[in-house]
Amino acid sequence: MTELRRDPVVGRWVIMNVDNPLTPRDIHTPSHYYEETSNCPFCFGNEYMTPPEIQAFRSPKTQPNSAGWQVRVVPNKFPALQIEGKLDKRGMGIFDLSNGIGAHEVIIETPYHSKDLPDLDQAEVESVLRMYCQRSRDLQKDKRFKYIMIFKNYGTAAGATLDHNHSQLIALPMIPKNVIEELTGSGEYYDFRERCIFCDIIRQELDEQERVLMENDDFIVFCPYASRFPFEMWLMPKEHQLFFPESSDEQLSSMARILKESLMRMKKALNDPPYNFIIHTSPVDGEERQGYHWHMEIMPRLSRVAGFEWGTGFYVVPTPPEVAIKYLKEAVL
Amino acid sequence: MPELRKDPVIGRWVIIAVERSRRPKGFKAPAQTPQEDDCPFCEGKEAETPPEIFAIRREDSRPDEPGWDTRVIPSKSPFLRIEGKLNRHGRGLYDVMSGIGAHEVIIETPTHTANIADLSETQIAKTVTCWIDRFVDLSRDERFKYVLVFKNYGLASGAGRVYHSRSQIIATPITPKRVKEELMGCKKYYDYHDRCVFCDLIRQEIDTKSRVVLDFDGFLAVTAFASRFPFEIWILPKEHNCDFSSMSVEKRLYLGKVIKKVLTKLKLGLDDPAYNFVLHTAPFRHKKAKAGYWKTIEDDYHWHLEIIPRLTSPAGFEWGTGFYICPITPEDAAQYLREVEVS
Repeated sequence: MTELRRDPVVGRWVIMNVDNPLTPRDIHTPSHYYEETSNCPFCFGNEYMTPPEIQAFRSPKTQPNSAGWQVRVVPNKFPALQIEGKLDKRGMGIFDLSNGIGAHEVIIETPYHSKDLPDLDQAEVESVLRMYCQRSRDLQKDKRFKYIMIFKNYGTAAGATLDHNHSQLIALPMIPKNVIEELTGSGEYYDFRERCIFCDIIRQELDEQERVLMENDDFIVFCPYASRFPFEMWLMPKEHQLFFPESSDEQLSSMARILKESLMRMKKALNDPPYNFIIHTSPVDGEERQGYHWHMEIMPRLSRVAGFEWGTGFYVVPTPPEVAIKYLKEAVL
Repeated sequence: MPELRKDPVIGRWVIIAVERSRRPKGFKAPAQTPQEDDCPFCEGKEAETPPEIFAIRREDSRPDEPGWDTRVIPSKSPFLRIEGKLNRHGRGLYDVMSGIGAHEVIIETPTHTANIADLSETQIAKTVTCWIDRFVDLSRDERFKYVLVFKNYGLASGAGRVYHSRSQIIATPITPKRVKEELMGCKKYYDYHDRCVFCDLIRQEIDTKSRVVLDFDGFLAVTAFASRFPFEIWILPKEHNCDFSSMSVEKRLYLGKVIKKVLTKLKLGLDDPAYNFVLHTAPFRHKKAKAGYWKTIEDDYHWHLEIIPRLTSPAGFEWGTGFYICPITPEDAAQYLREVEVS
């Protein structure tokens, strides 16, 4: 018998295969390999191939758009949204539309072609996270933007179009739907109980210890109870915090440590799978939503989403989180 | 300048990358499902499947033997199981329910054909009849709230390795989230305007024409205004109806014709892409259900079919935000599909 589980925040049900869980051995991930190339626009020495950089952490005395950087941010060459212009929302009969104002930046995590985030050392991961925060804080000054989303696609199956490791930042003139659902769900819980639902989740996970992969003083990483995908992981600050970009340097250092190890465990347990991660943080529209708690969702892309999931938003999960956690814990680093 | 568009029913925004609009050639069709020698869905192999639940077959033939046109069997690896009692409980702040439901496979043809587009319209109409028959039968089970009829074609769509053309039907003990959003969107629109949002949409699409792919025999096929995916197509009955199972035999034939035409256009125009289609229809209206919730459903909801070619795969941004980036405008997609000649 399978089990139906409900996500306590957004109310999404998932079908959990608790009887015959799929194990990493049953999962065939297309092995990831880096195509060696001399003309990768993200490699050091090829800075001229990208649009001019927006910001970089670089060694003293080096010039912008030349080698000598550790983390580099450039505008996306093919932006989904454009930064120039005035926001123009209008109707067209029963339809609503707006022009595509926004920012779309690429954060190049390392000057080296074949290193993924967990392959970097802790200080380097920390610089990447610090860059996320700085770019977010800079963009949230622009009053046209209501939401800033940071995410990463690793591997072709996860939507990456370039081999060289990078993450992306998109600033949006409206709050996206999934975020609204999370805000509504956690807001209702807060109104009723005067507690943050994510804080309650952390407490329950720490009590039960069935789905927790790792914790340190500041963060917890666990496989969520109503995972949508096999081996899905959430990383959360233990302290109630609304905005990711307000993290202190100490927190980012602590986060870098736990993130690096979680990603490395996933990489080892699942043979370097394609994955996405997304930072869920509060909107920057000026409102403080006390019931919200920022976190990062990490999703290996092991199964294809089929018609049933598209039609219903109801996911079928072949590996329950309680089983996934065992494999992640056993992974030899 | 890219454009942001909002779905009028559920309020989901999408980014239409107007200027990056890729011509259909820019999309690579994923590899086809391999051919299989010992296909359990072919006529003559009935013993290799679980016993049939329903079939349209010649009068002189017997169940689980040759002589059928369409055949419904239980899924061999079901997501949900039919036996047992619905058991709901809580685990701290988490909710859980036993996995009760039904999961059936509709084999759409006795011959070893992969794409429903290659079947005749009468054969497709028989598949529609199977959907309706199973839908009506499952609706009698009070444990179930919703039945989803859908199809995965091609590896990229999530279809398994079996090549033979089939669709699936799943009955669930809850109304799924996306369905609920659509129902709530329709109800809200109706409460305010006293009209069905889909009827309004049909009227506007027929007026503007730019997104119409086909319009005949009482059905309209359009590319969605706020498409999530390139070449996303909706097929809607022009006459208001919330429940597809009330469709007359004549209309089933017309629906078969539209499905065939639309899918053939996709096949020819986009080099046989993988796709999913999903039927959206009103949930079961059991007597004991809350009265207020369903009071206007007959008037506010409108059944339709959504077709999603799987040309791009959604990345982190889409998953995280529910905000899709569509690389081609629905207007360009519709024009392209209108120009694909189908005999």
